[in-house]
Amino acid sequence: MPEASSSTAPSGLSRRTFLTHTGVAAASLLLLTACPDPETPPVVTPTISLTGGDEGVLNYLFLLERVATELYAKVLATPPAELTAADLGVLRDIYRHNFIHRELLQLTMSANGFTANAGISAQSFDYASFTLTTRLGVLNAAQSLADLTVAAYCGAARLLSSGVLLRLFVKMMAVKARHAAALRDLRTPGSFAATDVVPQTGAEAGLNQVLTPAEVLAELSKFTSPVQLSVGSLPTS
Amino acid sequence: MNLFKILAELEQVDPEVADRLNSRRSALSALGNISKKITLASAPAIIGAAFNKTLAQGTGSPLADVLNYALLLERLEAAYYTRALQASTAPALATAFSGNATLRTAIEKIRDNENAHVALLTAALGSAAAAAPTGFNFAAAYTDLPTFLTFAQAFEDLGVRAYKGQAGNISRTATVAANTSVTVTNAGQSSTASIGGANVLQVALQIHATEARHAAYIRYLRRQAAYATAASGSIGNQFGWITGKAGNGAPAPVYDAGNPATTFPAEDNVSQGGLNLTSQLAATYTAAEVSEAFDEPLDSATVRSIASGFIIP
Repeated sequence: MPEASSSTAPSGLSRRTFLTHTGVAAASLLLLTACPDPETPPVVTPTISLTGGDEGVLNYLFLLERVATELYAKVLATPPAELTAADLGVLRDIYRHNFIHRELLQLTMSANGFTANAGISAQSFDYASFTLTTRLGVLNAAQSLADLTVAAYCGAARLLSSGVLLRLFVKMMAVKARHAAALRDLRTPGSFAATDVVPQTGAEAGLNQVLTPAEVLAELSKFTSPVQLSVGSLPTS
Repeated sequence: MNLFKILAELEQVDPEVADRLNSRRSALSALGNISKKITLASAPAIIGAAFNKTLAQGTGSPLADVLNYALLLERLEAAYYTRALQASTAPALATAFSGNATLRTAIEKIRDNENAHVALLTAALGSAAAAAPTGFNFAAAYTDLPTFLTFAQAFEDLGVRAYKGQAGNISRTATVAANTSVTVTNAGQSSTASIGGANVLQVALQIHATEARHAAYIRYLRRQAAYATAASGSIGNQFGWITGKAGNGAPAPVYDAGNPATTFPAEDNVSQGGLNLTSQLAATYTAAEVSEAFDEPLDSATVRSIASGFIIP
């Protein structure tokens, strides 16, 4: 069962070792060496900085997928009693879809010689900002991550240089939007495309919210604290 | 297995790709021949399978063709919801909508989104925008609320597949012409905003995501007993995603394979990147779970053929 293998997430690395792994910014290491004063050791914020090209974009999606998948694993391991059968059905489906996406992304990176970012272990993801013991808290968390993922996908499509990868990307993207809508309707029926995610007026009228990698990673960093996620060398256009 | 090995598949799609990429200059000129209203800032170095199609379309205006195709589908959807909400054009639905404010508000929301898509695509195309068809014929769908929702699901899912089928045909660097603005009208209130410089691929995929949200919601509605019919099958067990290629009463071709089927498989496809994902991942998944996790693209000829029954040319 996928639930059981959640901890086989692609990284069992401790925070202690993550700095030595590929994909981690050299910037934070440079910061260490740049401070000459031994009396006041600098406070170094551990940072995961994404690499460039399609490798970086896939790792960006991979990070989103890992944070979301782990949320569902946690919730489904000890679901609040007030979740309905329909709630659980939706959450289980989304969990399995996300798990499949995450694993396929990892295999795709491997097949193309890309390094999957292993800078933070799934066990250290932090969901403390949500109350995962109540139905509302669970749906809040799931909806937040689902909406964030859809907005991230909207902004990332044009950053992929490979048409082959773009075709895979859009196959997953629509399912992400279906997830977000389904979660919203569980929480507030009819909110599938509310104006906070699909504006009603202006240049973005009718368009799903789009976020840049910098905006998404700032939000996602709340789940990886104290590790900060940085765009690093991600393509910008 | 190929697992989306980028270069290998690129060569498979287009054996001459190496030659073409060697001549970046000629590629640029072939890609540059587009609608005057849509500007290409620069050609990307590699755009995979899409490269082949763009070059193959020769001297036309490939991007305008893609956007006009999207515009036709959006006009169809906008008309579908607009008329459904009017007692004069859909009398059999009037009682259902007048008696359920929540339902009416949600369908109005979808209608407003579709109208915004029409306005946006029309503005982006400018003088290259095709004329609207003579009319639409939705009589078969307006017989009662469950039937209306069944066809709504079909149109939304078809739209999602259609956009996905074109994603590779839009250059990543194509932008809407400067000084383009769009006017959106909601409940009689109009607002105008500039869309000059907007990235066309990004906008198309933002529309695509909105359509997928609609599709999920329509399935949410159909799951509720009040909206179900015997013809809708086991929709009660389904959520916002497509399990296998089940349309639950919606026309089967919406979920079937397109042409070629290798590029446009049916929605029950379980293979991605040469791997059968039910058995070749670390954990085992059912065919239902794998098929749900991926929406499949559909080619424009198949989409047009399905939509043609509702369009009066």
